[in-house]
Amino acid sequence: MKRSRTAALLLMGTAPILLTACNSDREASRQGLYTSVEACVAATNDSATCKQAFAKAQQDAVATAPRYTSRAECEAKYGAQQCVERNDNAQHSFFGPMMTGFFLSQMMRNGAAMNGFNSAPAFRDNRGDWQRPATGAGAGTGGVYRGGAGTAMVPVSATPDRAVTVSRGGFGESSGSRGAGS
Amino acid sequence: MRRVACAERPDWRAKAAGCGFGFHTIDDAPYWDESAYYAFSLREIERDIEAPTEELHAMALDMVERVVANEAWLRRLAIPEPYWDWIAASWRERQPHLYGRLDFAYDGTGPAKLYELNYDTPTSLFEAAFFQWQWLEDQLARNALPAGADQFNSIQESLVEAFGSIARSIARPFRLAAVRASSEDQGTVAYLRDCALQAGIDCELLAMEDIGISADGRYTDLDDGVIGCLFKLYPLEDMFRESFGQHLPRSGLQLIEPPWKAILSNKGILPLLWETHTGHPNLLPAVFDDGGELPRGWTRKPLHSREGANIAMHLANGQQFASDGPYDGPCIRQASHPLPAFDGRYPLIGSWVVGDRACGMGLREDATPITKDSACFVPHAIVEEARGVLMA
Repeated sequence: MKRSRTAALLLMGTAPILLTACNSDREASRQGLYTSVEACVAATNDSATCKQAFAKAQQDAVATAPRYTSRAECEAKYGAQQCVERNDNAQHSFFGPMMTGFFLSQMMRNGAAMNGFNSAPAFRDNRGDWQRPATGAGAGTGGVYRGGAGTAMVPVSATPDRAVTVSRGGFGESSGSRGAGS
Repeated sequence: MRRVACAERPDWRAKAAGCGFGFHTIDDAPYWDESAYYAFSLREIERDIEAPTEELHAMALDMVERVVANEAWLRRLAIPEPYWDWIAASWRERQPHLYGRLDFAYDGTGPAKLYELNYDTPTSLFEAAFFQWQWLEDQLARNALPAGADQFNSIQESLVEAFGSIARSIARPFRLAAVRASSEDQGTVAYLRDCALQAGIDCELLAMEDIGISADGRYTDLDDGVIGCLFKLYPLEDMFRESFGQHLPRSGLQLIEPPWKAILSNKGILPLLWETHTGHPNLLPAVFDDGGELPRGWTRKPLHSREGANIAMHLANGQQFASDGPYDGPCIRQASHPLPAFDGRYPLIGSWVVGDRACGMGLREDATPITKDSACFVPHAIVEEARGVLMA
């Protein structure tokens, strides 16, 4: 066969393409992946939210961490000494990775955080890549790959470097409204 | 190779809307056209398209190796000098690339002839990789195609696989950018983002015009995050001359397609390929243009035109065609080799390379021998001819 066995789309078509535009009241989301409450406070200067987000993520980790039937399976993906035994509500025992960070997302307006936040536990696999459950913060985006039985995980990037932008619009000058593809 | 009339799927517009294919109609003119398809034999695909694509791709990469070390050639390709070292370094480091499209004239007989390489900003990707694939599956299910029909199209599988294999060398955060107002380009990057996500790579879209610069010459997204790697559906040569371009070599920004693609997305590569591989059955004779009158049998193309703009064609029989457009600057000449006509339409074959593998194709047909942005995308199928039919 000369064609793809399957071809599916994850996000395309489920929602209109949204490009955040530079608008006047500068509404935007602030998202971060933090390895400690201290790192979160350093980045956001919002101690109360960081503590709440951490506590909620820890609580959610029991329910949403990837699940493995054996410690060995879990350690194959997350590394030695990185997995713990947990129990679900029905007292079934399973193994999952330890929460090694948490993800916090807040809506911002005019540079200030608005009420409310989303948080999720984050796990780091043995390649150093971060991921969080597809449910919780940013839910609705759908699962990307299966971290373990039952839980779809999406990749997350570590908090990027920041730099104050002094100018925008220096690319795209040649195109006008025509496309640039060929 | 045949052009076969075929009933459209009654619900294809709804399907297009459902998967975000908004540009199936552009400025009220149809772009996606499934009232016909092109039928190929497996032998035509494998011998005449797939194998030459892999061979030409290898030849093209080999040319990069020669050109980055040759100042006279870099100058010939009109690549601005401040970018030479940066381009050469990107090649020495073998900075990862994702995809490219080779455009061929082919009529089912004789060798396919390479028109050009689209190795920097190729589009018509979503329609080839996904919507064309869905067309084949649907038409097979409706018994509208011969049983066992196939398609030269593992493009999507190859994209996800290619993203997976370069995931470790993509700097984060990873952003994909295209011109804001172009629905076609936005659709293409949205699709590539989907493929990257399927490979487990976290990434977001950004309008090309929204990219920012910091005081120390680093590129930022709308949250002031420093962009690690930028997939840009935007010509390298345009970035070079725009006001933010000067920061590229020292910004630390990783680009996909990488800087070394500037050598291959340049029609100047065609005379260099011909000079190096004179007489290759899939190449057309090509020379740099001296600006004089265009003789019969030759076509003039600017080094950097896209979508068939600013092409002048003088056929051996004296017929002339020309397209207008915004491009000027140095040109090349290529031996005229008109596209074949099928039912009065002129199909151009776009053969895709993802990673370094030939993995599929899409056809665009126009009403004239110059394929412009008005050309429609028409699906294809691989159909084995029954011997009895051929002999009848």
